[in-house]
Amino acid sequence: MYEGQALYHPKGWWTRYVFSQDHKVIALQYTCVALAIGLTGMFLSLIMRMQLGFPGLFESIDAGNYYQDVTMHGMIMVIYLLTALFLGGFGNYLIPLMLGSRDMAFPFVNMLSFWVYFLSVIILVCSFFVESGPTGAGWTLYPPQSILPGTPGADGAGILLMLGSLAVFIIAFTMGGLNYITTVLQSRAKGMNMMRMPLIIWCLFLATFLGLLAFPALLVGAIMLIFDRVLETSFFMPEIFKGGEVLNYGGGSPVLFQHLFWFFGHPEVYIIALPAFGIISELISCHARKNIFGYNMMVWALIAIAGIAFIVWAHHMYVAGMNPYLGFFFATTTLIIAVPTAIKVYNWVITLWNANIKMTVPMLYCLAFLITFLIGGLTGLFLGNVAVDVPLSDTYFVVGHFHMVMAVSPVLALYGGLYHWFPSVTGRMLDDRLGKIHFWITFVGTYLIYFPMHYIGFLGVPRRYYSNEQYDFIPQSVNDLNQFITICALIVGAAQFILLYNFVVSAVRGKEAGSNPWGACTLEWQTLESPPGHGNWGDKLPVVYRWPYDYGLPGATDDFVPQNVPDEQIT
Amino acid sequence: MGLTHGQVFVYTLMTVISILFLFVTNAYLFRMNFEDWRSVPIPSLLWVNTGSLVLASAGMAWAINGAKKSDLQTIKVGLAIGGLFAIVFVSGQTWAWQQLTTSGFFIAANPANTFFYLITALHALHVLGGMAAWFYVTLKTFKQDASILQPESIGLLGTYWHYMLLVWVMLFGLLLLT
Amino acid sequence: MAFVIVATIIVIGTVLWNAVTPWWFTPLASNWGSLDQTIIISLWVTGVAFVLVSGFIIYCVYKFRYKEGHKSEYEPENTKLELWLTVITTIGVVVLLAPGLIAWNDYVALPDEGIEVEGVGQQWVWSYRFPGEDGVYGNTSGRLFSSKNTFGLDPNDPNSLDDILIRSAEVHLPINENVIMQLRSKDVLHDFYIPQFRAKMDLVPGQHTNLWFEPTLLGTYEVACAEYCGTGHYAMRGLITVDTKEDFQTWLDQQPTFAQTLNEGVEGSGKQIAQTLGCVACHSDNGVNGIGPTWKDSFGSTRELASGEIVTVDEAYIKESVVNPIAKIASGYAPIMPAYATLSDEELDAIADYIKTLSN
Repeated sequence: MYEGQALYHPKGWWTRYVFSQDHKVIALQYTCVALAIGLTGMFLSLIMRMQLGFPGLFESIDAGNYYQDVTMHGMIMVIYLLTALFLGGFGNYLIPLMLGSRDMAFPFVNMLSFWVYFLSVIILVCSFFVESGPTGAGWTLYPPQSILPGTPGADGAGILLMLGSLAVFIIAFTMGGLNYITTVLQSRAKGMNMMRMPLIIWCLFLATFLGLLAFPALLVGAIMLIFDRVLETSFFMPEIFKGGEVLNYGGGSPVLFQHLFWFFGHPEVYIIALPAFGIISELISCHARKNIFGYNMMVWALIAIAGIAFIVWAHHMYVAGMNPYLGFFFATTTLIIAVPTAIKVYNWVITLWNANIKMTVPMLYCLAFLITFLIGGLTGLFLGNVAVDVPLSDTYFVVGHFHMVMAVSPVLALYGGLYHWFPSVTGRMLDDRLGKIHFWITFVGTYLIYFPMHYIGFLGVPRRYYSNEQYDFIPQSVNDLNQFITICALIVGAAQFILLYNFVVSAVRGKEAGSNPWGACTLEWQTLESPPGHGNWGDKLPVVYRWPYDYGLPGATDDFVPQNVPDEQIT
Repeated sequence: MGLTHGQVFVYTLMTVISILFLFVTNAYLFRMNFEDWRSVPIPSLLWVNTGSLVLASAGMAWAINGAKKSDLQTIKVGLAIGGLFAIVFVSGQTWAWQQLTTSGFFIAANPANTFFYLITALHALHVLGGMAAWFYVTLKTFKQDASILQPESIGLLGTYWHYMLLVWVMLFGLLLLT
Repeated sequence: MAFVIVATIIVIGTVLWNAVTPWWFTPLASNWGSLDQTIIISLWVTGVAFVLVSGFIIYCVYKFRYKEGHKSEYEPENTKLELWLTVITTIGVVVLLAPGLIAWNDYVALPDEGIEVEGVGQQWVWSYRFPGEDGVYGNTSGRLFSSKNTFGLDPNDPNSLDDILIRSAEVHLPINENVIMQLRSKDVLHDFYIPQFRAKMDLVPGQHTNLWFEPTLLGTYEVACAEYCGTGHYAMRGLITVDTKEDFQTWLDQQPTFAQTLNEGVEGSGKQIAQTLGCVACHSDNGVNGIGPTWKDSFGSTRELASGEIVTVDEAYIKESVVNPIAKIASGYAPIMPAYATLSDEELDAIADYIKTLSN
C-alpha cells in the first residue's frame, strides 16, 4: 500500500471472509486449498504405492489408472500444493507483516489471484470426473504420447483440462507475483532497506522473480500442445505411425517441448526450494537464539542461485536426443550452482556453532531439513554430472533424489514454518507433544522411504514402471523393498492426520501464545494485537533500526532485540 | 527507486509478457528452418490494423496529455479513441484470419500458418486484456471528476497501449521478413 | 538428546549401508566401466561431505544445547571462513566434474569402426535392422509403413534390399566389437536402456539418435524402455544376446533380408502384422495373460466381458475387437487397447487366422 492509500475495509460477511482483500485471510485461503489438494495428491501416491508394494492386491489399479495416479500426484504436489502453499500461503501472510506494511500493494488483485488459483484447482479436479479420466502422461506431459491414444486421458478431456488448469494457474501466479514484487520494492517500513529484510523475504522475492520469468515458457508450451491436440497442428508432432496408419501430423519437434518445459521446470524447483530455505533461515536463527551467520553471503548466494537457475535446464535432457555437446555446458552450470547452495548449507550449520539451541518442534524440523537436504543435494551432483546421468536417468535414483530434495526437505521446512507461525495466525500454540510425534514419524519415515530408492536406481530399476515382474535383472528383493516402502508410506501418510488434528484442536483449545512466544526479532511478532488485526499496525507504522537477527546481541539483557527497537531503548 | 506502485506493477507485467513473446519468437525462428515451412502471404489488411493500433496509441497519448492538464474533456475523448481503435484492431485481426482461411491457409496445414494464427491471437488476447483495464479506468473517469488517482492510471494505461503497439510492430516485422 | 542419537544412527547407517546394500550395479558387461568409476568417486566425495557436515550438526546440537541465562556468540560475518569454504566446495565440484566430462566425451564420440545396427521402437515393442552386406542402411519413409513393411523401407532403394530385418524384440550382437546403434522411433519417445551396458539413449520420432558400446561379457541382457511411452511402457522389454563372433554370424545368416520378406506369402503374415502393430506387447502366444489376454488356446473359447455378457471368441469377435476394442472389453482387463480402425479385411483375416493357429 502506498503513502496515504486508504486501507480497504470489508463491508459485509462476503467481503470479510470470502472475497477478503486482507492478505492474512487470503494467505489462509491459499493454505487451506493447497493442503486439501495436497492431501489428495498424497492419497494418490498411496494408491501408487499399493500397486508397487502389493501388485495385484487391488485389481482395480490397472496400468492406465496407475499412470493417471503418477501424473496427477506429481502435478498436484509440485504446482498446486508446494508452489501455492509457499508463495500463496507463506508469502501472502509474511511479506506485508515482515516488511512493516499494512497489506500488499494491490489488495484487490491479491484477492483475485486466490480465486483464480481456486478456479485452476476446480478445473484440475474436474479432470477426475470426465469420461477419459485425468491425464496419465506423466507430470512432464511430453508429446507425442501425451496427446495420443495409448496414454490415459490423451484422447479425451483429461489432457485438455490439465493444460487449461495450468494456464489458469499461471495467470493467478502472475497476478500474485506482480503484487509481491511491487510490495517488496515499494512498501517496506521506514528504516528497512533491502539488506535489513529478513532472509525469507529475499527468498520469496527471488522465487517470485523466478516464477514470473519461467512460467511463460510453460504457458507457451501448454498453448502449443493444446493447438496440436485440438487443431492437429504440429508444433511438437513429427511423422507418427500408429494404430496401423500414418497420422495427420508432421515436421514438429518433441525436443522443443522439452526445452520449453524444462526452461520452466528447473526454475520451478527453486521456486519451491527458495521459500523453504527462507523458512529455515528464520527458524534456525530464532530457535538457536543466534544471529544467522553470513547474511550478506546468504543474499548473494540466493541471487546467484536465482540467476544460474535459468541456465541449467537441459540437465533434464542429457539423453533426450539433443545435441550431445550441450551436455558439457549444462553439466558445468549445474555443478556450479552447487557452490552457492552449499554456502547456504554451511551458513545454516555455522549458525548452530556457539549458539544456544532450543530443541523446539520448529528447530527439530530445521535439523531434519539440513540432513535430508544434504542427501538430496548431494545426489543431485550425481545426476548433474552428465556421464553419470547416463546409467542413472529415468531410474529410481532420480525418484529418490527429487523426492528428497523437493518433497522431504521442503515439506519438513514447511511443517517447521507452520509450527512456528501458527501462534501468530491464531494466537495459540500447537500442541508440543503431538508435534514431536508427528515430527519423528515424518522424518524417520520419509528417510526410510526414499533413501533405499537410490540403490535400486544403481541396480537399474526404471521409474514409471507399473510392474517389474517381467525383468530378470530385477531380483525378488526389490519387490520386498517395495513392500517395506509401501508400509512406511502408509504409516507416514496416516501420521499427517496428527498434524491436522493438532491444527483443529489447538486453534480452539491450544495454549495461549502471547504476542511473541518464540522471542523473535522480526516484525510480524511486534504487532499491537496478536493475532494481528486488520491493517496490522494500528495507527502507527513501525520504524526499523536494525537487521532482523539481533539474537544474543552483546549489551542487551534479553537474548534478542526486535527490529523496531532503537538503540536507546535496548535494556 | 522513485517509482510508484502502479509503475512497478505494469513494468514487471510488461517484462513477463515480453518473455512470453520472446519464447514464441524463439520457437518460430527454430521451426522456420525446417524444410516443410511455406511462408504465409501477409494480408494487406494487417497494415490497416497496424494503423488502427497507432491511432489507438495516439488517442491514449492525448488522454495522458489531458490528464496532465487536468482537462476532463480531453481525457474522455482520448480514452474513447484509444479504446475504440483497440477494438477496431482486434476486429481487423479476426477479419484477416477469415480472409486467410477462405484463401485456403488453414491453421493445421502448415507450420507457418499455425504460427501466424498463434502469434496474432496471443497478441490480440493481450490487447483485450488491456481493454479490461481500460474499461475500469474509463468508468471511473466518467463517474467522477479527475482525482489525483487518474494521471497515474491513465499514464500507465497509455504505457501499456504503446507497449502493445511496440510488440505488434516487432511481431509484424517478424512475419513480414520471414 | 533424542535428535543426537537418531541423527547419529541415521548418518552411520547411511554410510554403512553402502557396504551391505543388496542393490548395487548389475555386473558390468560393456566397456563403460568409466561411468561406474565416476559414480564411485562421487560416492566418496559426497560421502565425506555428508559425514562432515552432518557430524558437525550433531556435534553442535549436543554441545550448544540451550542453557537458561546463557547467550549465544554474536558473529554476523566471517568472510575469510566463507571464502575458504567456497574454495573447498569448488575443488570438490571440479573433482566430480572432471572425470564425468572425460567419460561423456568418450560416450558421445561414435567410433569409426564397429558393427552397425538400428534399433526401432514403437508402442510397445522393439525391432532391429542391420545394414546388410553393402553396409548402408536403406532409406525409410513414414509413407511406406504398412503391416507388411514394418520398417518403412523403400523397395526401390538398392541399399534397402539387403538390409537384415529382425522382426522381434530379441537381437544378437558379437562380443568385443564396437556396436554403433542408430535409434529410430515410429511413434512416440522411447529410450533404449541396457542396465548391464550402462548405456541408454532416447528414441525421438522424426529424428535419429545414436548410442555406442562394446559388449565385453557373453550372456543375455534385457533392454528396458526408459522414457515413458504410454500404458505399455513397463512391458516394452527387449533382449540382447552377446555371442562369440562365429555364433553371431550363424544367427545373422538365419535372419531374412528385406528382399526376402517382400517375397513372403500370406502364410505367416498374420504373425508379422501382429509384430508390426505391436500386438505382441500385450497379447502373448504362450498362455500367460499380460496387459491383454493371451492368444494361446483362445480361439473357440468362451469369454466373459466386463459387461457380464458371455461371448465366444470367433472370427467376428476378433475382427471387431481389433477395429473397435472398447465395444467388447474382456472382464478383468483395462480398456486401454488402441483401435486399429484402418486395417483392411485381408489384414484382419490374417490376424484371425494366426490366432486360430495358436489354438487347437
